[in-house]
Amino acid sequence: MAVVGNLSNEQIISAYKTAIRARTLDLKITSSQRQGIIGFHVPNEGQEMIQIAIGMLAEKDDLIFNYYRDLALLLQRGVPVSLIFDQLLGNGNDLQKGRQMPDHFSFREFNFSTVQSPVGAHLPLAVGAAYSMKYNKKKGITIATFGDGATSTSDFHAALNLASVFNLSVLFVCENNGWAISLPVSKQTKAEIFNKAAAYGMPGKRVDGNDLISSLAGLEEAFSYVRSGKGPYLVEATTYRIGPHSTSDDPKKYRIDEITDGSDEDPIKRLENLMLKMGVIDHNFIQSTKAQAKEEMDKTLEERENVSPVPPESIFEDVYERPYWMQEEERRDLYDSD
Amino acid sequence: MKDLTGCRRKRGGIYTTQINIVQSLNKTLDMLMADDERVVLLGEDIGRDGGVFRVTDNLLNKYGEERVIDTPLSELGIVGMATGMGMHGLKPIAEIQFQDFIFPAFDQIVNNMSKIRYRTGGRFSVPVIIRTPYGGGVKGGLYHSQSGESYFAHTAGLTVVTPSNAYDARGLLVSAYKKNDPVIFMEPKRLYRAVKSEVPDSLFEVEIGKAAKLKEGDDVSIITYGSTVPTVLNAVEKNGVNADVLDLRTLLPLDVSAIVQTAKKTGRVVIVHEAPKTLGIGAEISALIAERAIDSLLSPIFRVTGYDIPFPYSHEELYLPDERRIMRAVKKALSY
Repeated sequence: MAVVGNLSNEQIISAYKTAIRARTLDLKITSSQRQGIIGFHVPNEGQEMIQIAIGMLAEKDDLIFNYYRDLALLLQRGVPVSLIFDQLLGNGNDLQKGRQMPDHFSFREFNFSTVQSPVGAHLPLAVGAAYSMKYNKKKGITIATFGDGATSTSDFHAALNLASVFNLSVLFVCENNGWAISLPVSKQTKAEIFNKAAAYGMPGKRVDGNDLISSLAGLEEAFSYVRSGKGPYLVEATTYRIGPHSTSDDPKKYRIDEITDGSDEDPIKRLENLMLKMGVIDHNFIQSTKAQAKEEMDKTLEERENVSPVPPESIFEDVYERPYWMQEEERRDLYDSD
Repeated sequence: MKDLTGCRRKRGGIYTTQINIVQSLNKTLDMLMADDERVVLLGEDIGRDGGVFRVTDNLLNKYGEERVIDTPLSELGIVGMATGMGMHGLKPIAEIQFQDFIFPAFDQIVNNMSKIRYRTGGRFSVPVIIRTPYGGGVKGGLYHSQSGESYFAHTAGLTVVTPSNAYDARGLLVSAYKKNDPVIFMEPKRLYRAVKSEVPDSLFEVEIGKAAKLKEGDDVSIITYGSTVPTVLNAVEKNGVNADVLDLRTLLPLDVSAIVQTAKKTGRVVIVHEAPKTLGIGAEISALIAERAIDSLLSPIFRVTGYDIPFPYSHEELYLPDERRIMRAVKKALSY
């Protein structure tokens, strides 16, 4: 676990590398979508710092109920890029057998739960998981991430209320990137998101999610509060969605970009500038890190594209533990001659 | 008839008790909780109050508030929380106080609970039971009377069962408990205390997906389930109909072989259920028979169901399939 007060150079460098890998991967996925290799993508650009900070503070035993825009968190927690591409491609090696559209990951070995499209619907699940951990006296807390749009859902309300009533160890982290597709956060809610915690009788705070050090400093208190069994905590991390909502979205229709890729406000650039100033890295290091990341992503995607597809009949599996007669009959129907 | 409720008797080496559906479910939950620490109950008013229908009566005292959880008023919270608990090692049995109130949790049921096994390639499962009373006849008006089984039976990943008596109530609940997948357990509230049966004191299973032949007959098949089963039995007994009566017990998956077998046997089929007619379970049964046994039919298939209207308050008796409507359909089928 990182402690901001004595964050080592190695830790900062490692975080920087993850950020570069995440950004490079993100851009690679978007360009692959444009080429028709990957079907869809929800870009992660801009949200790397808060995600890496969560990953640095989370323990192995913590359960994470992430949402569909958490690529850097996956990398920080050690999920191999090859498995990420397998999911994005829906190939025969995808752990989920090609059942979900891109970015709807589930990496159980890394204690990531499962991602759904309906926004916020994973939050009550996180509460149930926390209940289960407490009941079974297991180590670890539950961490749930979500966007600003999710704070308007009934699921958000239900989850924060339940976690608080049952005094469960859930850390809620809202990655407030300012936009829910085309809706600015000012139209999403009139209240400050972190202030909503008060309505549930739990502490809440806002952190600068575009700054690694502020994110770590802010999260540290929240993590230790939840870990000590005092109950749930709501953190609002302000960040910015640099890209579109998804590869099907054109933000030019509804906003003027406030932060652009590589500008001085870009969270990665901010970290880079800080590290340069501190003398922790130099320009050569930046260049080689980016080159390495690019090579890693290019090579891995090329390799994963050659993985065989999911067998067609597998679409009838895992509906139930054992299929009912309808799935059996329909599976046979797939291969019946005319 | 002498009320034998609560009297323990020994039949063929097995102790049995004459009990109603509420007593049967209560005792079943009690025994499952005693056997398996993973079983936790959650829902509104199920602890201190023992449930508005008393199905969970006294279980809080026995097992404590960690295992019998009075939740805040949030159906989606109950279902979502139960789903997360089920994914992480518990065996939650949730209660939705009235099936009419389940709809805030519909997204959780349809998009999370039922799809998690599938969407994770079988790496997570959701062994959760949702118990919920349904149906009218208790002067409950629009929002304490609906029969919404079709909403759930239309969703792959769910299993939907409904007992019509205390024996099946225990057997189906035990089978639902043994499944590693979500089960919607629909309880016909009108029958909660209306019918008693002799139920073995132990835990036993009633196989999911298997209908029960309640009466053998040759002239007409009556296919029904849940709340309308006693109405059908009374009607055929009173009118001396030589009917083959099938109680489906499971609505997803339907017992297609029992349905086709009885249709082929009599050639005349009447389907009776309380839920509205349009796209009700009866429509699916009719389609299965049309696909697999149409050559055996001697008359059209007739459906006697709730009407395609919201459930009325005054005149609720007109909504519920009764002897008169059932017999009218039977006569039409027989005289075709």
